[in-house]
Amino acid sequence: MNKVGVTPAVCWMLLPLAIVLGLLLSLSFGASSLSIEQVFGALIGNGNEHGERVVWELRLPRAVLATVVGLHFALSGCMLQALSRNPLADPGVLGISAGASLLAVMLVVGASMLPIGTSFNLQGDQLLAWLPWGALAGGILAALGVYLLSGSARLTPLKLIVTGVVCAAVLNAIMTGVLALWGQAHTETLVAWLAGSLHGRDWHHLWVILPWTLVGLIGVVITLRPLGLLRLNDEQVLSLGLDLGRWRLLVLLVATLLAASAVAVAGPIGFVGLVVPHIARGLVPGNLPHQLGISALLGALLVLVADLAGRTLVVPFELPVGVLCALIGVPAFLYLLKQQP
Amino acid sequence: MSLNAERVQLGYDGNTIIHELSVAIPMQQVTALIGPNGCGKSTFLKSLAGLLRPTLGRVTLNGRSLENWPRRELALEVAMLPQKPVAPEGIRVRELVEYGRFPYQSILRGASREDREVVAWAMQQTGVECYAEKPVQALSGGQQQRVWIAMAIAQQAKILLLDEPTTFLDWGHQLEVLELLTKLNLEQKLTVAMSLHDLNQAAQFADHVLVMEQGTLLASGAPENVIETGMLASVFNVDAEVKIRANGKPCCLAKGSMNRLRGPAWIKDVV
Repeated sequence: MNKVGVTPAVCWMLLPLAIVLGLLLSLSFGASSLSIEQVFGALIGNGNEHGERVVWELRLPRAVLATVVGLHFALSGCMLQALSRNPLADPGVLGISAGASLLAVMLVVGASMLPIGTSFNLQGDQLLAWLPWGALAGGILAALGVYLLSGSARLTPLKLIVTGVVCAAVLNAIMTGVLALWGQAHTETLVAWLAGSLHGRDWHHLWVILPWTLVGLIGVVITLRPLGLLRLNDEQVLSLGLDLGRWRLLVLLVATLLAASAVAVAGPIGFVGLVVPHIARGLVPGNLPHQLGISALLGALLVLVADLAGRTLVVPFELPVGVLCALIGVPAFLYLLKQQP
Repeated sequence: MSLNAERVQLGYDGNTIIHELSVAIPMQQVTALIGPNGCGKSTFLKSLAGLLRPTLGRVTLNGRSLENWPRRELALEVAMLPQKPVAPEGIRVRELVEYGRFPYQSILRGASREDREVVAWAMQQTGVECYAEKPVQALSGGQQQRVWIAMAIAQQAKILLLDEPTTFLDWGHQLEVLELLTKLNLEQKLTVAMSLHDLNQAAQFADHVLVMEQGTLLASGAPENVIETGMLASVFNVDAEVKIRANGKPCCLAKGSMNRLRGPAWIKDVV
């Protein structure tokens, strides 16, 4: 029995409060700090021009994006861990993040090498507008590849994981090769992006990801019951009347869309999809709907806090949010692991 | 109702385990499937549950081939408890038993009042209602097995297939499980078919016994007609004495393995 368990109601109340608090702090702290009054003034259109600019154009889109991205990664990880019956699964392990990163990098490098690309003269942050579509396509292609290689409808959860690990390694190797050979002009931008970063993200990026958030959440609702069952063994799942192959593919697809769209706007932020579902399982053992919901909230909170820390710890520099997620998430994870019998 | 295997050939990855097996499972009775390790009992049960598609022949439920049954409809007729069921980490007994109601629910329609009543009934029948809010992993092996049976009967299928439901249980818990199944058979008219290793338990609790050897059906019928010294010697390689008990059921007492009489080299060494 797990002694860390708390009542789900407590999590459901405290986590949204923590997220609202985190959002307010994110709006307040930064290169130039604003008081809470200034933040509220700016939010209701009653502040000075500088405050309104900082809040509305820089910090609010970025903070909201951080919560959405965290929610995506955590939900995706939680679904993949249930699907593969393996607590080590996450979008990174299954090759989804690697596929998304590879295609995004190839798109950027390719665009600057081909005549058609140079005519656009893509530089720096402009590249960020291009990345999302490449990343989304890459993530989906990688997931489909892993699915097919692990035996399609006849796959076993273990095969899925092993194939995913192998594919992720290969895709990452190819990406490093592409970066080393042709990436010179964009190395700085791409390396920052690959570490998982929210630097320079604005409303545009939020509009890119929000439709996928909607699709993902609808997908989670639809797959919720079958996903609970998929945690049993195959024979049990089938004799309970669930079409195993079809639902597995659908769950994988929803998890991929969530992860790939998040990679698309923020880069492959690691650890969120791995650590957060594990913490959620510790908080509410057994019950999958609660685990998914609490994972989503925890993921949002973790990335929000990580981004805030990344922006404020080493001013005037910024640490990529992916780095901070690992630095905050992993000790929390190890602590919980130690608490478990 | 009828559940029949018609000249089925079964196997995995081109490896044939069962050749041309034809069996009709008697309805509203308890059937025990016996035979030595590796004779194909589990494989055969899987095919009866529609989990393994025959390479030749067919398994029919009410005259219709299992392949033509939509999974969900089949789940309303046949429930299967595999040998090694898996409980998700941390799941509570009630949540697990509720999974048995899955075939009656849809994506958006949650548990109805009837579902909750059936879950309560299933837990009460199996005597696990006092553990309802406990994590399944915290229970003993015998308690866990009763939880799995609760989940299977919450499915309210007319036919219940069980693959070695008594394995890993101590003597007392084995009897508890078998008594529970015969009670469900008598009270609910539940058709039970299960593989068993203990011949005396098969003799005591089954109305019908199927004897399998190397993928073929060797004998079938009432326990007193099937369980006899010749069969025990040829199928199990055991030199045994069969007595008829006061209730008319046979009871086997092993004298030793046949190898002992034939005397292979390694036995001689020991003697």
